[in-house]
Amino acid sequence: MASSATSAVYIHVIEDVISKVRDEFINNGGPDETVLSELQRIWEMKMIQAGVICGSIDRSSGKKQPTPGGPITPVHDLNVPYEGTEEYETPTADMLFPPTPLQTPVPTPLPGSTDGSMYNIPTGSSDYPTPVNDNGGNTDVKGGRPSPYMQSPSPWPNQRTPLSVDVNVAYVEGRDEVDRGTSHQPLTQDFFMTSSGKRKREDFATQYQNGGYIPQQDGAGDASSEVAKAEGSNGSHFLGRHDSATAAKSKILAHLARSSSKIPQLDGPIPDPYDDMLSTPNIYNYQGVVNEDYNVVNTPAPNDLQAATPAPVAQNDTVDDDDDEPLNEDDDDDDLDDVDQGEELNTQHLVLAQFDKVTRTKSKWKCTLKDGIMRINNKDILFNKATGEFEF
Amino acid sequence: MATFELYRRSTIGMCLTETLDEMVSNGTLSPELAIEVLVQFDKSMTEALESQVKSKVTIAGHLHTYRFCDNVWTFILQGASFKSEDFVQNVDRVKIVACDSKLLSQ
Repeated sequence: MASSATSAVYIHVIEDVISKVRDEFINNGGPDETVLSELQRIWEMKMIQAGVICGSIDRSSGKKQPTPGGPITPVHDLNVPYEGTEEYETPTADMLFPPTPLQTPVPTPLPGSTDGSMYNIPTGSSDYPTPVNDNGGNTDVKGGRPSPYMQSPSPWPNQRTPLSVDVNVAYVEGRDEVDRGTSHQPLTQDFFMTSSGKRKREDFATQYQNGGYIPQQDGAGDASSEVAKAEGSNGSHFLGRHDSATAAKSKILAHLARSSSKIPQLDGPIPDPYDDMLSTPNIYNYQGVVNEDYNVVNTPAPNDLQAATPAPVAQNDTVDDDDDEPLNEDDDDDDLDDVDQGEELNTQHLVLAQFDKVTRTKSKWKCTLKDGIMRINNKDILFNKATGEFEF
Repeated sequence: MATFELYRRSTIGMCLTETLDEMVSNGTLSPELAIEVLVQFDKSMTEALESQVKSKVTIAGHLHTYRFCDNVWTFILQGASFKSEDFVQNVDRVKIVACDSKLLSQ
């Protein structure tokens, strides 16, 4: 039970606070006086329950409601807003951790083949519309592409694609891969195409240009993609189901490339590989260009790779830290935690004060404190001055 | 004027914080106003401790841990005794948190 002295001080403090905030409550359009009174009432009630003031209401002279129980509920309410109806419901994982959004950037399947590499094609022109659309449905579109000699970055998502069946995808066997690859297209598509999921050629360009960037986290495999492009450009007339799939991938890659081209390039100018490719019908030239393109292509990818790698690296670090932590984390456990485990405010004896001076001589510490509140042995004690001598 | 939010951790401070939190979550009180109340509590509490309390206490014990960070001393004592002219209290473990008194007067 609180001493009368401390109780009196506390009551004085309460009244002082209430009177000083009364203006705020009333004048500035705040809540009324009634709210203020309610505040005071609840505050005093809690204090009485904690046993620190001898309220005029003699309900709890000997009763000390464990304050840990008190704070738990409001804190719990505050922190768990959804607990309204089912207070004791164990929050499910879904509740606690909202399902991760579809943010996993195109998780390059990379069956080790060029399919994955196709994603890394950095097209020189940024207008490359979202190739994502080509899940095989746009075969016709792709096939109908004008010759790849187009110089202007017109929106033609499928141009690169109608190609290189040979390189990238086998008809039957590769279809699975293609499907896998295409399966990712919707993801990329979601990223690229801000508006509708439907792929419309007309929309591609605009959307793509707005589409921004996809964090590319798969490795760069540009060669095949470049070749694919080349072949695609050559075989623009060539239509085929597999081509569409391949085309789709090419588009995606091109798209990614385009998007990646927006990434500030730090290692030199981007020679516009697309134009180079267009201008040189020869595959070998393409390959030569491709070599150049490697530099270009790789540029964005490494950025992404660099961006991506820290994550796993960090994870690795944490894994390593987990191994290290157990070595250190028990340092204080034995000494201190056993005492306070499961016990909170009541038994955590606490002194809150201001210090004037703290000195040490060898292992002897001395301090002078002032204006302190002590909570020890379930009692509140106030002091104006305190001196401490501790032996370390 | 800066205040020591230190005293909010006391019983009276925690009661006030809880009350305010309840009222804010009810929507009865705006968060800004709640913060103003807490700041006023800091001031009132500090002033009351200076003016209304006149007791002196002696603390002795084994210093288990000391920490000085951000101008705040934190001591953890074991086997501590608190003596005043009125009473003697012994505890097996106590934490002392002390802010620099000079900061308020600056």
